[in-house]
Amino acid sequence: MTDTAGNATTTSGDEPVTMMEYFMQLEYSDVVSAPVMRFRDALMDARLIAQQCPKCKLVYVPPKGYCPIDTVELDERNEIQLADRGVVTNYTVVTPVQYYGQKETEPFVRASILLDPPGGMLILQDVLDIPVAEVRAGMRVEAVWAPKGERDVDEIGNRSGSALEGSLRGFRPTGEPDMPAEAFSDKVW
Amino acid sequence: MQCVLLGAVTELRATTHTIEFPYTRTLGPVIGSFFTGLRDRRILGIRAGDRVLVPPLEYDPETGDALKPDFVEVGPAGTVTSWSWVTKPTRKHPLDRPFGFALIRLDGADTAMVHAVDAGSIDRMQTGMRVTPRWRDERKGRIDDIECFVPEGGAA
Ligand SMILES: [Zn+2]
Repeated sequence: MTDTAGNATTTSGDEPVTMMEYFMQLEYSDVVSAPVMRFRDALMDARLIAQQCPKCKLVYVPPKGYCPIDTVELDERNEIQLADRGVVTNYTVVTPVQYYGQKETEPFVRASILLDPPGGMLILQDVLDIPVAEVRAGMRVEAVWAPKGERDVDEIGNRSGSALEGSLRGFRPTGEPDMPAEAFSDKVW
Repeated sequence: MQCVLLGAVTELRATTHTIEFPYTRTLGPVIGSFFTGLRDRRILGIRAGDRVLVPPLEYDPETGDALKPDFVEVGPAGTVTSWSWVTKPTRKHPLDRPFGFALIRLDGADTAMVHAVDAGSIDRMQTGMRVTPRWRDERKGRIDDIECFVPEGGAA
């Protein structure tokens, strides 16, 4: 049985049992790939690294060890340093529904950030230090890194994508003039 | 998070991702009655013609007809009709030591239900063995209100 707050309660007394709780849980264990290990090490130094395909020049962040378009392997020789500032290309304001596991209570932003040259796109980034209603495409932003002693990359694995909040908290406005849409409209993710 | 050492040189790191979905389900009149029975330390079957189905079903598996809620108490002891032995239980298994998963036809029932048998050793498991439930002290109206079955006439 469940109370209104969703907490499991013991069926008591003589009442008929009418409901059941079923908790489905799947656990995946992955060995972290070598490129992602190097990516983690860089994050601990407040750096972003990526791999760039020598054929198509696409920038993969986090590095994935291959270019799926050209089916070529990528390794340390294809590694590049990325800028930790860039531009919001698009964003979503998420109004959290209080489902199981939801930690947010107030509307928040998830933005795609196109990093300055040599490029690279980080998706689902938090935008800090600005009211949600003022976030806009074209806004210039810079990385907000966790303080050195607080950085934690233990949870970053091959499936983590751009979820880096243990080390890269998000991005905040730099105050520079906005960039025109034409500057990034071919890279909206 | 765990570290695995391969040989003496390569350290491999693993990450663990857990996906969880909590479900709350209505039980309906038949399974609801079955679980209510378990909460009260009773195992209920349902009459289907001249047979008794345990666990109870809402429909007759032979004809597809809806069954009347005509419950009958069975067991609590029963006979193992088939089994397999779990040598290395996972975290999700009902027991944390090697055990048998068995089809158990409870006394008075015409069908068998699956449950765990805490036999202690594979050598004690056999088709035809008699088993009896070990009830939990705190029961919630779930199938694991019966912690497991144990060989009749002697703890495992
Ligand atoms: Zn490529």
